[in-house]
Amino acid sequence: MTSGAALSKLRPPAPKSSLIVPAGVLGALALTIWAASDQFGIGFDPIAILADIGRGSEILGEVFRPNFAFFPRTIQPMIETIQMAIIASTIGCAIALPAAFLASRVTAPGRLSLVATRSVLNVVRALPDLLYAMVFVVALSIGPLPGILALIFFNIGVAAKLLSETVDAVDRGPLEAASAAGAAHVEVVRTSVLPQVLPNYVAYSLYVFELNIRASTVIGIVGAGGIGNVLNEQIGFFNFSNVGLVILELFLLVFAIELVSIALRRRLT
Amino acid sequence: MIRFENASVVYSGGVHALHDLTLEIADGEMMVIVGLSGAGKSTLIRTINGLVPLTSGDVTIDDRSVSKARGRELREIRSRIGMIFQTFNLVSRTTVLNNVLMGRLHATPTWRSLIGRYRDEDVEIAMQALERVDIVDKAYVRASNLSGGQQQRVGIARALAQQPKILLADEPVASLDPPTSHVVMRDLQRINRELGITTIVNLHFLDLAKVYGDRIIGLRGGQLVYDGNARDADEGVFRDIYGRSLTADDVLEAVPAA
Repeated sequence: MTSGAALSKLRPPAPKSSLIVPAGVLGALALTIWAASDQFGIGFDPIAILADIGRGSEILGEVFRPNFAFFPRTIQPMIETIQMAIIASTIGCAIALPAAFLASRVTAPGRLSLVATRSVLNVVRALPDLLYAMVFVVALSIGPLPGILALIFFNIGVAAKLLSETVDAVDRGPLEAASAAGAAHVEVVRTSVLPQVLPNYVAYSLYVFELNIRASTVIGIVGAGGIGNVLNEQIGFFNFSNVGLVILELFLLVFAIELVSIALRRRLT
Repeated sequence: MIRFENASVVYSGGVHALHDLTLEIADGEMMVIVGLSGAGKSTLIRTINGLVPLTSGDVTIDDRSVSKARGRELREIRSRIGMIFQTFNLVSRTTVLNNVLMGRLHATPTWRSLIGRYRDEDVEIAMQALERVDIVDKAYVRASNLSGGQQQRVGIARALAQQPKILLADEPVASLDPPTSHVVMRDLQRINRELGITTIVNLHFLDLAKVYGDRIIGLRGGQLVYDGNARDADEGVFRDIYGRSLTADDVLEAVPAA
């Protein structure tokens, strides 16, 4: 603390700057060129794309002139999509909550449940939503039910992953306090971890709901119900002004969810 | 009565945090543990409630072994030992009352704690604990909205809500300013004297140790190097415990607020 001691100490030489960052940037650049090249890659040519873009302008032009007369026919499928998303988000996130606690090093009751839960979640997350939809459509016939099931699996994967990483980062002090007070493991998690991650959990659930609205366009392609069916059908008929209206509706819906999500998060934190 | 018998703790990596400690702490004592950081103070305190397991030896409370207890039995032992932490360890996103009610978890059925509906009598015990540390007016305030001194009093209330026989305090004033430190230390002293709770406090400020401790033990390198009456602990004793001459950083040097 005294200035005399500080004066007697020499300033250390600056450490050598690491080459990892520039090497990483150069490596990423080289990989991109390799992947895009004609000889070794897929022949990605941005200039040719710019030259050809005019050919798509007819379709784009129609998409940007939505056919509002089509609106009445989108109402019912759009409601169906929202209903599917509500059911799938609620069930998926309800399952994801305990799964996340089992999958976090901080809250897992034992090593076995940690590894088992993480493995199952990795498999659940590895399969794409479209594949889930195809499997359930084949197993259960077309309609909203296979769509809901596909979304539930998708939601468990996303929400449990996000939440377990949040649980990994909680302040461990309260856990120690609850354990020291003689609380059982579930009580420790409930009283000292859950309040810390609750705002994040709500935010992730709303994000998952938003993802479900968007995913419905993809899973509709294989006949899993909702607005995706309509979208797929209208693309098939080359009715791009009808497609434009559906996209506009989806955009407004996702935007509205985002606004609600922001308002809710502000109240929670 | 707390009894250490040849208690040792070796952390993975080979650090001897506690070395062959034998010690008895009588019921109702106010004991202060001093020593440099890394001397084993926190380890010693955490072996009493089993947060740190012993490598060898034994710790018993009223002839019940802490080191051999597991599961329900360990939780039952812990429920009678309140603990106070340097960084308070409150859940900042919930209310003061909910934090204090954590001290009632051992007596609350699991289903009740899961839905957050504590029994009326447990809420009453929590409120009385808050009254004892004079902060009951903040019961429904979020813990994060309190000052450091207020948070530590909530920490004390949480420990008191357990209705403990023993109170452990790990550097309870290290995060507080000098006047607040005295308020918290006086709270602990009052609890010890009025409720007869055995109180064990880690401190690194020597003047606080002398003022508030009845008995002082000194640790150095995980070994017991001093055990005696607080009145008898003079500068020479502390020099021995610290293994060096004392500096201004070793004392708080603030007069207790009137």
